[in-house]
Amino acid sequence: MADAGNNDGAVKAATKETAAKGIWRDGALNRLVLAGSLPLFFGLWELVSRSGVVNIILFPPPSTVLVAIVDWMQDGQLLIDFGMSVSRVVVGFVVGAVLGAVIGILTGRYRLISSLLSPIFQLLRPIPPIAFVPIVILWFGLGEIGKYFLVVWGVFFTVWIAAHLGVQRVDEKLIRAARVLGTPEKRMLREVLLPGALPYIFVGLRTSVSISFYTLVAAELAGTFAGLAYRIDIAQQNLQMGQMMGGLVMLGVISAAADKLFAIFAEKAVWWS
Amino acid sequence: MIMNKAENEPMPATDGSSSGAAIAVDDVSIIFGEGDNAFVAVDRVSAEIAAGEFICIVGPSGCGKSTLLNAVAGLEQVSSGQILVGGAEVTGPSAQRGMVFQQPALFPWKTVRENVAYGPRMAGLSDAEAGSIADELLEMVGLAAFGAKRPQTLSGGMQQRVAIARALANTPDVLLMDEPFGALDAQTRAMMQENLLQIWHKVGITVVFVTHDIDEAIFLADRILVMSAGPGRFVQEISVGIDRPRTPEIALDPRFVEIKRQSLEIIRRESTRAFEQQLKSAM
Repeated sequence: MADAGNNDGAVKAATKETAAKGIWRDGALNRLVLAGSLPLFFGLWELVSRSGVVNIILFPPPSTVLVAIVDWMQDGQLLIDFGMSVSRVVVGFVVGAVLGAVIGILTGRYRLISSLLSPIFQLLRPIPPIAFVPIVILWFGLGEIGKYFLVVWGVFFTVWIAAHLGVQRVDEKLIRAARVLGTPEKRMLREVLLPGALPYIFVGLRTSVSISFYTLVAAELAGTFAGLAYRIDIAQQNLQMGQMMGGLVMLGVISAAADKLFAIFAEKAVWWS
Repeated sequence: MIMNKAENEPMPATDGSSSGAAIAVDDVSIIFGEGDNAFVAVDRVSAEIAAGEFICIVGPSGCGKSTLLNAVAGLEQVSSGQILVGGAEVTGPSAQRGMVFQQPALFPWKTVRENVAYGPRMAGLSDAEAGSIADELLEMVGLAAFGAKRPQTLSGGMQQRVAIARALANTPDVLLMDEPFGALDAQTRAMMQENLLQIWHKVGITVVFVTHDIDEAIFLADRILVMSAGPGRFVQEISVGIDRPRTPEIALDPRFVEIKRQSLEIIRRESTRAFEQQLKSAM
């Protein structure tokens, strides 16, 4: 029965692949369009900004934004802002991910731990990290701990629920196979449940990469002395439109790069899924 | 290195007396659910299997043959009666009872070789020792060249060979097989059956093989236990008695045809009875 289902799935996937090949038959044209995508976007932006339809001060063209980014880079401030923001994301992500994965595996595996913690987490989980900003300022002041706290808050619950469900969705056949092969109960977690849940955990981790960047913005708007989102905030007060949009571009580039890097890492780490 | 455990121990009697049986199923019932929802999957079944014997259990789907096999493996609790393997009561899964499922159930995060080495490693052997056992077994199932491959890159038949090698790596006393070739195409299945007999001959292990395919059962077994549905019971025992080694040509042997005729008749009778019973209980 199950196998018939598998074959069915394989057939469907194969059909889909053929269909996809049909659509993408013209490889050369596709590559051309792909290469033209971003230039088209920036070109249109430049055109619209300079057309006079919009206020060029409030909607500066990419050329102006580029100049602002180069200025930002030259006085060395960009590197500091970049370093501060990335360190907040990395520390918050790693702490949140490790806590989330470990606790998720425990709550997913042990009913008693789940009964104790799941209701609490389900209550706290929907609170947006941004809502914590005022209280975080009172608790931690403007220091780094408060920034880490917000990013951890954003990452933890996503990874926790992914790990929790992941452990429960480990293929029952593999668990049975492991049992008849003589796996001691205490090694089941490491040998079967953890690797079995890893593909699910990585889905949660990848989502958390984006989450940690948007939590970063909230964390830096709460008040700090350096950072990409902080720079956007400061530029607003000085009406430096180029700088503001440059900040947005940098945030976009960095979080896209982080996502891509993580995807490559995930492919290597959970190569079997 | 790989050998039948039974050869190291006092040879058990092969006449099926309870003291010498490799596997003794004694008045076993397995009931799922409670009260009005209770479902009797296996109803007071008894059987004795001698060491080194190849037993097939055949019966229509849903007759409880897989449930009984799972109980021998220790994956299912018996509701009453007891199962003894090597004289010891089964209370849970053990590496001494190897099992091959219908799905290969290989660990996708391990290579073929690591999959086979898994059991010995769990038994406390070093990676090197476990690895050399794995190499020996992969050699035996004809997959020596595939050790470094990922299981999901192998065909269904090859994956099932890996699963057999993995089960044998623990040098178990008995090998339990739950329709292991049911998902394979006819040609692959025929090849796997011959391959399994060769392995069985070499290792000399006790095999309990569950299938719904009569031809498969006659080709493989020393003895066939026919099970009926609703509730699951043994209704007939057939000694195959066809000479070994067997080749696919034995399907033309008069003895083969006679056994097939006989068992099909029993299964048809039992299926009809179970079906009528279902109709009655549905009305």
